[in-house]
Amino acid sequence: MASTACFMIVSRNDIPIYEAEVGAAVKKEDAAQQHQFILHAALDIVQDLAWTTSAMFLKAIDRFNDLVVSVYVTAVIHTRLMLLHDSRNDDGIKSFFQEVHELYIKILLNPLYLPGSRITSSHFDTKVRALARKYL
Amino acid sequence: MADPANSPLGRMLLDEITPVVMVIRTDLVEEACQKNNLSLIEMLKPFCAFNNIDVPVRTASDQPYRIQKFKLRLFYASEIRQPNIEVAKERLKQVITNAGEKGISDLCTEPPRIETVLTTTQSELLPSWFPFFNKELVHTVSFSDHEAFDHPVACLLVVSSKDEEPINKFVDLFNTDQLPSLLNDGTMDPKIMKYYLLLHDNQDGMSEKATKILSHMRNTFGSNDCGLMCINSSQDGLVEHQENPWTLDKTESSPGQHLGCFLNDDDMDELKIAMQDLSSKHIIPHMEQKIRFLNQQVSVTRRGFRNQIKNLWWRKGKEDTPDNPNGPMYTFSSIESQIRVLGDYAFMLRDYELALSNYRLLSTDYKLDKSWNRYAGVQEMMGLTYFLLDQSRKDAEYCMENAFNTYLKIGLSGQRNATRCGLWWVEMLKARDQFKEAAAVYLRISGEEPLHSAVMLEQASYCYLFAKPPMLRKYGFHLVLSGDLYKKCDQMKHAIRTYRGALTVFKGTKWSHIRDHVHFHIGKWYAFLGMSDVAVKHIMEVLACGHQSKATQELFLRDFFEIVQKTGKTFEVLKLQLPVIDMPSLKVVFEDHRTYASSEAVSVKESLWRSLEEEMVPSLSAIRSNWLESQPKLALKKYKESNVCVAGEAIKVEIGFKNPLQIPISVASVSLICEHSLRSDETEADANSLTTENQNDDRFRNLDSSGWCSHDNCRECSSEKSSFTVSEVDISLGGGQTLLAQLTVTPQLEGALKIVGVRWKLSGSVAGFCTFATEMVKKKVQKKRGKTKRQMVDNLEFIVIKALPKLEGFIRHMPSAVYEGDLRRLDLVLKNPSEISVKNMKMKISHPRFLIIGNREVMDIEFPACLERKTKSAWSDAHANDTHDDRVFIFPEDALVYGETPFIWPLWLRAATHGNISLYLTLYYEMGDASTVMKYRLLRMHYNLEVLPSLDVSFLLRPSPLQLHEFLLQMDVINRTSSKTFQIQQLSSFGNNWEISLLQPLDAIFPSELLLAGQALSCFFKLKNARKSAITEVEDSVVGPSEGSDVSLRRGCNEPLFDIYRPPLVGFHHYERMDQGTSNQENPNTVDLILISLQSRSEGNPEQRDSPNFFSHHSCHCRQDSFFTFTFASTSPIWWLVEGPRTIQHNFSTSFCEIKLKMTIHNSSNEVSSIRIDTSDSTSSSNATTSVPSGNEEGWHDLSVLNDVKATSVVKSASQECISPFIWSGASSTQIKLEPTSTTEIPLQICVFSPGTYDLSNYVLHWTLLPSDDQGAGTRQSSGTCQGHPYYLTVLQSS
Repeated sequence: MASTACFMIVSRNDIPIYEAEVGAAVKKEDAAQQHQFILHAALDIVQDLAWTTSAMFLKAIDRFNDLVVSVYVTAVIHTRLMLLHDSRNDDGIKSFFQEVHELYIKILLNPLYLPGSRITSSHFDTKVRALARKYL
Repeated sequence: MADPANSPLGRMLLDEITPVVMVIRTDLVEEACQKNNLSLIEMLKPFCAFNNIDVPVRTASDQPYRIQKFKLRLFYASEIRQPNIEVAKERLKQVITNAGEKGISDLCTEPPRIETVLTTTQSELLPSWFPFFNKELVHTVSFSDHEAFDHPVACLLVVSSKDEEPINKFVDLFNTDQLPSLLNDGTMDPKIMKYYLLLHDNQDGMSEKATKILSHMRNTFGSNDCGLMCINSSQDGLVEHQENPWTLDKTESSPGQHLGCFLNDDDMDELKIAMQDLSSKHIIPHMEQKIRFLNQQVSVTRRGFRNQIKNLWWRKGKEDTPDNPNGPMYTFSSIESQIRVLGDYAFMLRDYELALSNYRLLSTDYKLDKSWNRYAGVQEMMGLTYFLLDQSRKDAEYCMENAFNTYLKIGLSGQRNATRCGLWWVEMLKARDQFKEAAAVYLRISGEEPLHSAVMLEQASYCYLFAKPPMLRKYGFHLVLSGDLYKKCDQMKHAIRTYRGALTVFKGTKWSHIRDHVHFHIGKWYAFLGMSDVAVKHIMEVLACGHQSKATQELFLRDFFEIVQKTGKTFEVLKLQLPVIDMPSLKVVFEDHRTYASSEAVSVKESLWRSLEEEMVPSLSAIRSNWLESQPKLALKKYKESNVCVAGEAIKVEIGFKNPLQIPISVASVSLICEHSLRSDETEADANSLTTENQNDDRFRNLDSSGWCSHDNCRECSSEKSSFTVSEVDISLGGGQTLLAQLTVTPQLEGALKIVGVRWKLSGSVAGFCTFATEMVKKKVQKKRGKTKRQMVDNLEFIVIKALPKLEGFIRHMPSAVYEGDLRRLDLVLKNPSEISVKNMKMKISHPRFLIIGNREVMDIEFPACLERKTKSAWSDAHANDTHDDRVFIFPEDALVYGETPFIWPLWLRAATHGNISLYLTLYYEMGDASTVMKYRLLRMHYNLEVLPSLDVSFLLRPSPLQLHEFLLQMDVINRTSSKTFQIQQLSSFGNNWEISLLQPLDAIFPSELLLAGQALSCFFKLKNARKSAITEVEDSVVGPSEGSDVSLRRGCNEPLFDIYRPPLVGFHHYERMDQGTSNQENPNTVDLILISLQSRSEGNPEQRDSPNFFSHHSCHCRQDSFFTFTFASTSPIWWLVEGPRTIQHNFSTSFCEIKLKMTIHNSSNEVSSIRIDTSDSTSSSNATTSVPSGNEEGWHDLSVLNDVKATSVVKSASQECISPFIWSGASSTQIKLEPTSTTEIPLQICVFSPGTYDLSNYVLHWTLLPSDDQGAGTRQSSGTCQGHPYYLTVLQSS
């Protein structure tokens, strides 16, 4: 398990709709905003990169110090699953993204969920955290 | 790309990599120059750069070309050494600080919008001190020992004409002791070209002496290498230069100094010519010559195949030398240094091809020697050369990267070199529009030094901005990073500047942590600089940070209050986010003609009230005509469109305050902001209101633009206080709590009132206010899509009219929970605080089943004693009808309500069914004074009542087997309560038709008299139809209830019975009947039963002890009774009874037994009916005559004869048990016609063949009503089939 990992889902209009600190490291007070900054800045790279490849999983597209950003871009509504991590477990990250993508699709299937709005489902949250423990 | 030399990097290189001239001068020279506030070098510097020198040069291979631009760098001999690191650092810091001071004026302004940022050009956006800073940074590594372009090419020796023995001075000056150590220790070639310059100060007299010295010099040093320069020709020192060439370089000079004030135009020309001479006639030819010489030397030793092999072999041999980070020491005379000098000279003379070839040669050597420092230096130069040649971009970049990495590899000493290399690399990338890569390089440059890193990060952020497409988020992020570093170095102004830039990106972002971080820090820094206004504005943005941890929230809040307190004044803040105002919860309650007795009444839907009031309120047209009559000028439309409220009556506004934080906050002095404008005359009203509105708009525009306003605003309101009063509320909100604050405004004068917003004070120091107007606009937009229903309520503008009487009303002693069936008297209390009386009061109640209006006489009578039967009161339809059909109760004319004395009217409450019930009362009244605008008002009251289950009463009625007109009534009563005890009082039947009597004595069935909690009771009564007698003896029997319609269930029968025909019992019974759906009241076959019981409450109030002499030991103020309207299960109008013997002894040995029976049939309806009796035998096949259509055929086909199933099964079982059945003898089907209310008898006969018990119910009665002419078929059942009653007959064998 990675010591630092920040997972975030960003909607197509660049609004975070889900965020979770899934790292094992002890939480620092200013870590949250630093992670947000890094992921936010990485969107610039995603924006460039997403249209150059047909792959959904863009691994290690950006880095800040020893933190690496990997992104998974969903096909239809251009939601970005972003993970800030310090481990190099690419396979695990890829599987993590794929499983979370499935969960996200289930959320989308909910007729009461408005695409692009915040994901508040606690079930989703527990599932994501469990997946993070499993793969990262 | 255009000419690389014209790119910023090209210009920088032409500036930086130019020949160095070492200047040595005497003190007197310096003295002469200082008259102009300039040093010698400063004075000469502007004339060392030539834009159009046009000198012909030949390359090493004799290719001629011309040099146009040229520059010399002058340094004092003492300056030619590696600069002190600490001093350089300090200098850089100074540069940054100075730059920060300059930018302070911008910091107060709003950050520009991102769109404008994107459209501004690079030069405008980039802080101008960046190039300067970069230059200084590059200078920190000048005169390094591994590079040759800083080696002095020439030495300029300057002696003043005032000096004694100038020739000797010249010799003395170039003394090895004074030369820089770099020249002495062998790094640089000490044998450099010398130029002797004599400086003459014209103020010291004529120049004859100087020319004499010059000629002397020429003789001594050679005629070419000497020169004379005269300065300070101006005597008064007041020369003003149009374009002062010195100001550019000497930026730190104070404005009072006149630079070059003694230098007139002649002097300047002379300076110019002298320097031009020096460069074109001496330095350039000298360099050219040296290049040739070195080139030849290099060719001899290194070029060619043989030399290369030799070199390689020689270097291999040196491989064993220990690994020195700087590589082996090279003196100026070593071949490597020579090549380097050759390369650098060629570079400086723009012979890039030659330079490149030499650098290449050198780089392999240094690499083999592992002399990394020099290797990196050469690589760096190669990169630059490639760039200037504009040949191979890849090579250029590769070289730069290589150099950069190599420098970094060396460690600390290479750090600054790496920085320089990086800066050049960045410029190179920028020149090629590779901003993204440039930014990456900037990030790599940012090393240990936080201040330098800050600047580099900031430059990197601008690179992201200029990238195509712009990478704004990276821009913002790196600005923030840079700002943090600036902050670390106490460069607060720079920190703010970078954060301001970041704000343009992050403004309104949904990334909450980012937004909080940026706003909070910039706010804090502004506060640090003492700019509290801006600081507060920024920190306010983060106050509603529910997502942050509790500690962070506390930090934010504490800092906020600290800053606010520092300012020492009370801020008024528009859109203060703490607490959050829940706009959808905004509710305005005002009373125009509709007034409400309680807040619950307000929340009831308007439509519900409307429907209730329909009958009472005069129709709209009628009102209008009334208004027109009284006040013809009145603009009706206006009143219709805007809300009307009455002076002196409060308008209530409910609004939710939400605390988004986890920490509690206190909010004080919550009050409404209102505006009142007087309207003295209706005709002027329009103009008036218009102007006031405009003023309001202006005021708000001001607020919007500034976001602030001083405390004066409050004064304004208080000055208006005469026209309205507002309430103030203090609330304290816990973490995450939402409270609904109820605020009121009471207009005191007529006119127009507008509720503008709400104001509050947070923790005693910050006043926030929020206007509703903007929110309303949004709401209206939403409404347009949907219905425009509640717009009236949401409108916040009111027309205040003259004070009117307003009734206040409530129901006294209204219980919140009662038991089912509870009947009690309540008082409606009305008050009219004003002096004007009201009239024409009407009232309507939504649920008359629960609540009816009593008579005034009841007021004085004790209840329930008033219900006791004193005389035989008559029951008549008229009696019931006149009080209850009209649901609008009109109070008598004399019921005037005014003054302090309350007006009381009795009401009766009866809890009809259990459950929760909402009771609505609405009272209509008209003003006693006809001149008012409002003709009438309504008082709406609303009460919620919870009714608990008490006695569960059910009745079962069976026809009596013995008597035709008698029934058996079974009453089951269960006490459903958990603790209450009931005393059953009496059972009454409503109406005259029935007589009730107990079947058994009371003691046997009901010994205790009391029905305890959970106890059940069953009682049997005989019910006799008294109608027959009533009809037949209509003349003599007085119309009135016969004694038998009530039965007392109490043992001590002395107590009088209760009269169920007295109000309110009879009234409630009426509604109960309506509710239970027995619309056909006239149906004589139904009976309404009323059970009256008392609930004993021994623990009752002592004051009730002396109340009625009803129960001496118990106070029974509480009466419990239950109604039950009973209808027969079968609505058949035909009653019949089979009479005959029950037991017969017969000797079956002789013959079968014939038994005669008699059936009495009574038609109770008012119509003629035809009746057919079909008998069927239990063994169907044996008797062919019984061809009953709906009979039991084989007992199998049950589907078609559903209604007979039960009976047939009984018969069948009976027939199986009894071996010998019976048969109906005589007619199998008898048809008769029966007149209304008449009785006839039909003989029946059966034959029994064996002894046994027989059930004689296997016959069916078909009846059909034959409608008479005057009565339509109606809803009554006109035909039906009845199964026979069970009749058991036992036949015994007689001996």
